[in-house]
Amino acid sequence: MSGETWLPMSVPDKHHYETAIFWADKLVAVSDAVEDVFWYAQTMYYTGQYHRAIHLLTSRKLIKAYPACRYLAAKCHYECKEWQEALNVLDMLDMSFTRASSTLNTSLGQNLPTQDDKEGGDAALLRNCDNSICLLRGRIYEAMDNRSLAADCYREALRLDVYCFEAFDLLVSHHMLTATEEQDVIDSLPFDSQCPPGEAEVIKGLYQSRTKKYNCPQEAVIPEVLAPLADNLDVIVSTAEQHLYNCNFRAAHKITTKVLNQDPYNSQCLPIHIAVLVELKQSNDLFYLSHKLVDSYPDKCISWFAVGCYYMLTENYPFARWYLSKATTLERAHGPSWLAYGHTFGMNNDHDQAMAAYFTASQIMRGCHLPVLYIGLEYGLTNNAKLAERFFSEARGIAPTDPFVLHEMGVIHFGNGNLPEAERLFRKALSHVQACTNEMLEERWEPLINNLGHVARKQRRYQEALDYHRQALLLCPQSASTYSAIAFVYALMGNHADAVNYFHKALGLRKDDTFSTTMLTSSMEALMAEISPCDGNIEIQMYYHTEDLIN
Amino acid sequence: MADVVDLPDLTSFDIKKIKTDLIISQRESYERRLVNAAKWAAELSQAVVATIDKKELQQTEDDEEFWEEYDAYMLAKSYFDLKEFDRAHHTLRHCNSPKPYFLRMYSLYMADQKKKADNLPDSNDRSEPLKNEILKTLQTDLAAKCSNNKAGLDGYGLYVYGVVLAKLDLKQMAIQILVEAVNKAPLNWAAWTELAKLVTDKEILRSLQLPNHWIKSLFLAKVFSELQLQEEAINIYRAFMRGGFCDSSYIVAQIAVTYNDMKDFVMAVATFQHLQVMDPYRIENMDTFSNLLFVQEKREELAHLAHKCCTVNKYCVETCCVIGNYYSLRSQHEKAILYFQRALKLNANYISAWTLMGHEYMELKNTSAAIQAYRRALEVDERDYRAWYGLGQTYEILKMPSYSLYYYRRAQALRPNDSRMVIPLGECYQKMDRLQEAKKCFWKAHCIGDVEEIALFKLANLFAILEEKDQACQAYTEYINQTDGVNSHNYEDLSRSYWYLANYHLEHKNWDEAYAAAQKCTEFAETREQAKGLLRTIQTRRGQEGPCAMTSMQLDTSIDGIAQTDQSNQGSPPRAFERVTPVNLKFTP
Repeated sequence: MSGETWLPMSVPDKHHYETAIFWADKLVAVSDAVEDVFWYAQTMYYTGQYHRAIHLLTSRKLIKAYPACRYLAAKCHYECKEWQEALNVLDMLDMSFTRASSTLNTSLGQNLPTQDDKEGGDAALLRNCDNSICLLRGRIYEAMDNRSLAADCYREALRLDVYCFEAFDLLVSHHMLTATEEQDVIDSLPFDSQCPPGEAEVIKGLYQSRTKKYNCPQEAVIPEVLAPLADNLDVIVSTAEQHLYNCNFRAAHKITTKVLNQDPYNSQCLPIHIAVLVELKQSNDLFYLSHKLVDSYPDKCISWFAVGCYYMLTENYPFARWYLSKATTLERAHGPSWLAYGHTFGMNNDHDQAMAAYFTASQIMRGCHLPVLYIGLEYGLTNNAKLAERFFSEARGIAPTDPFVLHEMGVIHFGNGNLPEAERLFRKALSHVQACTNEMLEERWEPLINNLGHVARKQRRYQEALDYHRQALLLCPQSASTYSAIAFVYALMGNHADAVNYFHKALGLRKDDTFSTTMLTSSMEALMAEISPCDGNIEIQMYYHTEDLIN
Repeated sequence: MADVVDLPDLTSFDIKKIKTDLIISQRESYERRLVNAAKWAAELSQAVVATIDKKELQQTEDDEEFWEEYDAYMLAKSYFDLKEFDRAHHTLRHCNSPKPYFLRMYSLYMADQKKKADNLPDSNDRSEPLKNEILKTLQTDLAAKCSNNKAGLDGYGLYVYGVVLAKLDLKQMAIQILVEAVNKAPLNWAAWTELAKLVTDKEILRSLQLPNHWIKSLFLAKVFSELQLQEEAINIYRAFMRGGFCDSSYIVAQIAVTYNDMKDFVMAVATFQHLQVMDPYRIENMDTFSNLLFVQEKREELAHLAHKCCTVNKYCVETCCVIGNYYSLRSQHEKAILYFQRALKLNANYISAWTLMGHEYMELKNTSAAIQAYRRALEVDERDYRAWYGLGQTYEILKMPSYSLYYYRRAQALRPNDSRMVIPLGECYQKMDRLQEAKKCFWKAHCIGDVEEIALFKLANLFAILEEKDQACQAYTEYINQTDGVNSHNYEDLSRSYWYLANYHLEHKNWDEAYAAAQKCTEFAETREQAKGLLRTIQTRRGQEGPCAMTSMQLDTSIDGIAQTDQSNQGSPPRAFERVTPVNLKFTP
C-alpha cells in the first residue's frame, strides 16, 4: 500500500479525509517513509488539524530537511493566523533556493510541461515549492500589513512561475501596484522561457484583461488575442468592469446580469455587479442579492459588503457602517469596503471620519488613486484647498490620465481663480473622456461640461458658456443648477428676459435656491426697468387737443 | 397670415385623396396604439363621403424581419391594450424592425408615464425630486438608434423620440426631431399635435420646414388658435367645412373653441349647442364650454351640462372640470378645488384644472397654493395667459410689483388684443411710479376696445396727477360720454369725473360747463354736499366775473382734492381684492 495509490483517489475526488487519515496513520506506522509522513500531515491539513500536522512534521524533524514539509508547516501556521511562527518556519529555509533535489512531491502544483523530469513524478516539484513558498510569504506579509514586501514576494512568485495566477490576482485585485507598475510586471515576466510558443500571448492577454481599469477610460472590447475565450466569463467580466469605470452603467449591468445568470456566485463579477446596482440605484435587486449572499456565504467579505452597500443606497448610514465594518474585519484588505465605509461618513458631512476611512483604504490599495482622490475631495469640502490640491496631485501621480482627477484639480484651480489652468485641466479631462466613446457622453460627466461653461463664463466668453451648459442639459435634462447657470450667463449678457425665464425654471425644480431667488429678483427688476409697456412698437400718445368736448 | 407661413391651398379639396389618407392614417396609428390619433383620423374619415379606390388601401407588404417578430408584436399589442406596458416592453425586448420597435419604446414610455401618475403625491407640492431615469434611458437608446444611419428611426420612431425629448425639456431638439417625424410620416397626427404643443411663438412657426400636405393646414389651424391668431384658424376650419367636413365633430368643436377665444360668445354658445346635438355623448371640449357658460353666468345651462357629463363619464378630466366650474359659480370654492384636484389626479398635465384651481385658491386668499397651481400650469404649457395673469394678480396682492409687472407683461404678450391684460399692466406701472408707461398702457387698452370701460377713467386720473389738465379734462369727458347711456353702476368713478370737470371748468371760467358738471355731482351721494358748495361758488363767481386772486385759491384746493382722491384710489387694498372676483378672473379661457 502506498500513498500515491489511494490518496489521490480518495482525497481530492471523494473528500474522504477521515478515511485518508486513518489509513495514512496505519501506513506511517509501517513504512515510516518521508513521503508517507508528508501525506499524513497533508490529510491533517485538509481536515483542519493544523497544529497536529505541525507537530507531526516537527517531531519527525522533517521541517529542516525538506522544503515541502516546511511549506506545509508554514501553511498550517498561516491558517491558524500565526504569522510570525509561519515566517519563522519559512526562514529556516535559505531564500537562495538550492537546486538540490528533494524526493518529496507536493500536490499543490501540478506538473508543468517544461519541467525536466529527473526522477519521474517525485522530482517534478521543487520549483513549484519555491513559488508556493514565495506566494505564502507574500500572503503572510500582507496579513502583517507589510504590503511592499508582500508585493515583492508575489512578484517573485510570479516570476518563478508565470502560471501562478494567485500571485498575479493578489497583486492586481488588492491594488498593490499602480497601472504602470502592473504593466511592468507583465512585461518583465519570462513568458517565453516558461510557456510553449503561442500560449504566451494568450496568458499575457488574460493577465492584461485583469489589470487596473481605473486610470483611463478605454473602450470596453475583448482584445483580439482573447478571441477564442470570448465566451469565458472572466473575460466578459473584465469588459463589464471597463464599462463600470467608463460610467456606462447600463452596459455594465447588462453584462453582469448575464454573467450572474450563468454563474450566480461568480466572485469576480459580484463586486462589479454590486457597484453597478448602487450606481443605478436598484435597491430592490441589491436587497435580494445581498440576502442570497449572506445566506450562502455568511463568512465572506463580499456578502456583508453587499449588505452595507444596500443600506448606503437606502441612506440608512448607521446600519451601512455597521455592516461595512463587519466586511472589513472579515477581510481587512478589501478596499471597496473601506471606500464605501468612508462614503457613508462623507454623505453625512462627517468629513474627519470619512477621511480616516479613506486613509486606511489608501494604505490598503496603494496602487489605486481613488482613496487619495476622495481624501482630496473631503479636504475640498472642508474648504482646505491647499491640502486638497496636494492629495489630488498625489492621485494624479498614481493615475495621470484619470479624468476624475483632472476634473477635481481643475475645480481647485477654478476656486483659486486660476482660470486658464482650470480650463486646460477640464479640457484635458474631456479629451480623455471623449477618447473612449464616439457617441454621447455619459451622464456622469455633466459636472465637467458645466464647469467648462463656468470657466468660459468667468472669462467672459458667454456664448461658449451657453453652448457648454446646453450640452450639459442634454446629458442631464431638468437640472436646476444647469438652468440657473444658463440664466446667470444670460443675466451677464444683459438678456434679462431669458435670464428671468431660466431662473424661473431653476426655481421650479428647486424652490429653496437662494442664488436663483436673489438673481431672479435683480434680473426681474432690471428687465422691468427696460421693458417697454405693451408690444414692441412704442405707440405714441395721441390725443385731441384744446377743443372743448363737453356737451 | 402670409407673413408667418404659406398656407396650403384651401380652395381645391381632393376629397378622395384625403379620405384615403385618413383611412391609412387611422390604420397606421391604431396598429401602433396611438389611440388618440387613430380616433381623430377615424372621426374625420367618418364625416366625409367619398368613393375611394380600394387598391390604394392595400397593406404595404412588411418585410421578412417584421414577420419574424410578428408573434411578439401581436402579444405585446394585447398587453398594451390591457395597460400592461412593462410586459409589452419586455415581450418586444429583442425586436428591431420599425413597428415592433416603435411599440417597444412607446410602451416603455407609457409605463413610465403611468407610474409617474400613480406615484403622484396627493398634495400638489413638489417635494420629491424629478425621477427621469426611464426617460433618460429612452433618450439614450433612441438617440443611438437615430444616429445609426442604416437602421435609423422611421417617422413613428422619431415621434417617440420627439415626445421623450419634449418631456425632458429639450425643446429645440424635440422640435427638430418632430419636424423630421412629420416629414417622414405626414399621416401621423400624434406627431403633429405634439409639435403644435412646442410651437410657442410665431418665430418658431416660421422656422419650421414642414411637408406640403393637406394635414398641415389642420396643424396650422391648431397652432394659430394656440397663438391667438383666431381669424386665421377659423378660416382654415371654415374651408374644411366647405370642403365636406361639416359633419365632423372635431372641426365643429374647434370652431366653437375658436369663437370662444375670439370673445364671440354668442356664436360660441350656438356652436357648442350644435355640437351637443351632433355628438351628444362627447366630453372632449366640454370643459371649454363650461368656462364659457361660467363667464356668461348661465347657471342653469352649466348645471345641466355638469349633470350630463357626470352621467356620461364621471371620472374624466373634462367632467371634473365642468363640475368644478359649476361649484365655483355657486361660490363653493372648496368643493370646486376638490373637483379640480380630482381632475389632476386623473391627468396631472391637464392644464385647465391647474389654472382654474389657482383661481379658486385666490378666491380663498391662499396665495402660495395659488402660485403653486399657476406655476404648474405654466410648466405644462407656457402659453396659458390665464395662468400668467393669475400670477400677476397674486404677486400684486403680495406687493411685489416688479414680479407682477413681469407676469402681466407675459400675459399681455400672449393676448395683445385683450384690454383686460393691458389695464393691470398699467396699474402696475402706476404703482411703481412709472406714469408715462402707465399712460401708454391705458391708452392702448382704450384703443383696442376696452371691455371693462375703465381705461379712460384711469388714464384721466393719470393726467390729473401729472397736472396735464387739458388732457385730463378731455379724458374725463370722453369717459363720461362713453359710460353715459349705459346703465353704469360705477357711480364713484362718474362722480369723481364730474367733480374734476366742474373744478376744471370753474378754473377756466367756463361757467356753463362747470355748472352742468357740478349739477351732475349732486346726483351722487359722495359728492352731493361738496357739489352744493361748488354750485354756490360758481354762482357767486359768475356774478363777480372772477377776480384773479379768488380763482387761484380755488384752483389750489381743487388740485389738492384730486390728488387726495387719487392717492386713496392707488393705495386702497380692497380694490385689489375686489378685482379678484370670479367674473373678472374667468374671462374667456
